[in-house]
Amino acid sequence: MSGAPNPGGGNHLARTDQGALYRELSRSNLPATRRWYTVVGLLLLVTLWGVGCFVYMMKVGMGVTGLNRPVMWGSLIASFVFWIGLSHSGTLISAILRLTNATWRAPILRGAEAMTAFALMVGGLFPLIHIGRNWRFYYMIPYPNSRQLWPNLRSPLMWDAVAINTYLLGSLTFLYFGMIPDLAIARDHATGWRKRFYTVLALGFRGTHSEWRRYHVASTIFAILIIPVAVSVHSIVGWDFAMAKVPGWHSTIFAPYFVTGAIFSGLAGVVLVMAALRKVYRLENALTTVQFENLGKLLCTMSLLWGYFYFAEFLTVWYNRNPEEWEVYRSYGGHFLPLWLSMVVCNFVVPFPLLCMRRVRRSIPALCFVSFLVLVGMYAERFLIVVTSLARRNDPFIWHNYFPSWVEFSILAGALAMFLLLYTIFAKLFPIMAVSDIQERLFQATDRVVGGTTLESVARPEASGEGGHG
Amino acid sequence: MSGMVVVGLFEGIEKAAKAGNALRALPLAEDRITTLSSVPLPDRAVTRDTRPIRFPRVTLVGWFVGALAGLALALGTYLLYPLITGGKAIISVPPTLIVTYEVAMLGALAGTVIAGFREMGLCRFRTRLIHDPRIQEGKILLCARVSGDEQAKRAMDAMKTAGGIDVRPEEGEL
Amino acid sequence: MSPKWAMAIDLDRCTGCGACVVACVAENNIPVVGEAEVEKGRLMQWLRVARYWEGEYPEAQAIYLPVPCMQCERAPCETVCPVYATYHNEDGLNAMVYNRCVGTRYCANNCPYSVRVFNWYDHKWEKPLDEQLSPDLTTRSRGVMEKCTFCIQRIRRAKERAAEETREIRDGEVVPACVQTCPPGALLFGDLSDPHSEITRKLKDPRRFRLMEHLGTEPRVVYLKRQKGAGR
Repeated sequence: MSGAPNPGGGNHLARTDQGALYRELSRSNLPATRRWYTVVGLLLLVTLWGVGCFVYMMKVGMGVTGLNRPVMWGSLIASFVFWIGLSHSGTLISAILRLTNATWRAPILRGAEAMTAFALMVGGLFPLIHIGRNWRFYYMIPYPNSRQLWPNLRSPLMWDAVAINTYLLGSLTFLYFGMIPDLAIARDHATGWRKRFYTVLALGFRGTHSEWRRYHVASTIFAILIIPVAVSVHSIVGWDFAMAKVPGWHSTIFAPYFVTGAIFSGLAGVVLVMAALRKVYRLENALTTVQFENLGKLLCTMSLLWGYFYFAEFLTVWYNRNPEEWEVYRSYGGHFLPLWLSMVVCNFVVPFPLLCMRRVRRSIPALCFVSFLVLVGMYAERFLIVVTSLARRNDPFIWHNYFPSWVEFSILAGALAMFLLLYTIFAKLFPIMAVSDIQERLFQATDRVVGGTTLESVARPEASGEGGHG
Repeated sequence: MSGMVVVGLFEGIEKAAKAGNALRALPLAEDRITTLSSVPLPDRAVTRDTRPIRFPRVTLVGWFVGALAGLALALGTYLLYPLITGGKAIISVPPTLIVTYEVAMLGALAGTVIAGFREMGLCRFRTRLIHDPRIQEGKILLCARVSGDEQAKRAMDAMKTAGGIDVRPEEGEL
Repeated sequence: MSPKWAMAIDLDRCTGCGACVVACVAENNIPVVGEAEVEKGRLMQWLRVARYWEGEYPEAQAIYLPVPCMQCERAPCETVCPVYATYHNEDGLNAMVYNRCVGTRYCANNCPYSVRVFNWYDHKWEKPLDEQLSPDLTTRSRGVMEKCTFCIQRIRRAKERAAEETREIRDGEVVPACVQTCPPGALLFGDLSDPHSEITRKLKDPRRFRLMEHLGTEPRVVYLKRQKGAGR
């Protein structure tokens, strides 16, 4: 993107009429092409391969993984933390942007919220994949067994189950609710089976004055409710570890540190998803450098915050030299050095200085590169937290290293493919751009001549007091 | 609530506002006038929402119902089958707080969805609702619920004078 | 009065022979997994004899530390289980219910002594080895945790016998397989709630210590420290 500054984020869209705007933003909903089917087919294949490997693992036993004693949790749990973390940006960012009324938010809302929902679905599968007797997973659902015994809600795993359940239902509601006006728009434009599909999903939303007013109140309430839920979910994921008597896990900083890491990796995920949507569905007019630069700024902040948290945690152990914890940290310089280096380099050393540069933030390929690094770094961090602390437990006699097996790699690949598959299908069936939010913003914005330049001026309805008619 | 509704499409908010003023001058009560638009219009721009927004109370009710359910789930199940683990007390407060909080938030979300949908008047699939897909082209549909042909005629005249397109009476609900 | 089962391990007497491990494997239907799996860290034994080296060669000396389940009074493994598969039973033992276990392996992570083992596979006892399986307890399926039970089947049997004869369990009546086997007599088992039992007297020894005492798990396994000096 070059040329004249475009402060409005797709401001020129105002000059096209609404029908054309909808057609431009709903390109993803066009009838599927052969290429689309090829991509979906490939993703389905990889997903099925992952499912097949899971079934194989279930049939034969967890021995087909690289796990051992003492490393009883490995890549599957690291992936669980990673995916749940990835889910954090979407809903959280979108809720914060809604509440703070950030004017550039509209084009990224839907894509980010959808990412949350699918990352949660994928992440939530990992604990079930990971447990030894998957076919008995329902023992953890809160209902009394034949001896009237309920699950143990003192276990952090049950907190997790309850929290992820709330977050998943909340995120899906948030995603769906935010989509209702767009579904109504789609309904009024669509024909054939799509018409019936959108008619049912739009629930008869028409855009009456009363509907709109209540819609806004409700979406504000959702945003307010979902933020503390999101924070609590990753805190609890952090507490899964922090509650345990494991040197390297048992740390008071874990809850905020995990939340920070989650938002950090989630933002990186949003950047990549947005760049992909922009490219594939030619949404250059909606997703402009403004969105990417702002995401880049947030990413930069989170990188700094992550670095701060990690330094605080590291320093505490390093200075104290409590032998149990120090052995874990010493292995960062030994067997786990590659992992540790990738974490520090990909999370801080490279992203932070790069993101400080305006040129990088405004270049989508560069920003994508940094985001990819961040995802690698954050995966390394999750892996390091889960595995290293277990591999160097209290008793040196049982120390053992760990490397994932091909079964685990297949399941991880299957999970990624499943996420992409869900996302691709979602983009085909649902409005991937928050059309009504974009329209609303264009409705409120006008171009205003200030001296020799033209600036965007936004009217804030909620800022005006007693306006009205005589 | 059912009855005759006079509708008219307006190009741009200024014309719609003018028509709104004309309808009020008929006189027609504020709660009988509403708009259908593809973007939310500021309150009082064309018409004013006279109905108070009540459903956020249900959010609060949902929160408390959820909190009770969470409390029952955590504390209740400890007490139903007291099983000592780790030499700790049967009633453990912090885990109870965590579970209670999560279920309470779920209750609040559910309460908002149910009450919000109800108050917005969604999910009324069986009723005939006034609608015009042309609002998606950026037009505003002004609707006035009238009683009697006399009032309908005057309302239609007012809309036409203000620049309404395709002004017509419709049967249905708002 | 409920008993307080405890084990004393005299490190001064332990020679590191490993007979206790063999006895445990035989008594508790513990699968033998083979060299390759052991290499991967999938040993199924409930009791390990950890070996540490002290000093440099040629003065190096091996220290042997038999580590069974500590049967902690404040067992960290119990609180984290989402399905109560491990809990404290009426005898104050840290019990394991295989049928309830779903295999989250959280208990294993939360055990500072790492004494819990996981069934990575279904294990088979080829004929005629299945003849050696003890009928007193089950074999475990893949995907569940297991660990030392202080030979709970022997405790149960002694309890039943005592109940039949309407008397209390006598001191020394319950002997877990490892204790029964230990050639140098380094292991001792008994009831700490009985003030006259041998183990109560033995644990008055000033050499006593418990493993990782600072973690506050209150283990029921108590060690007696190895003495240093000539002739040892």
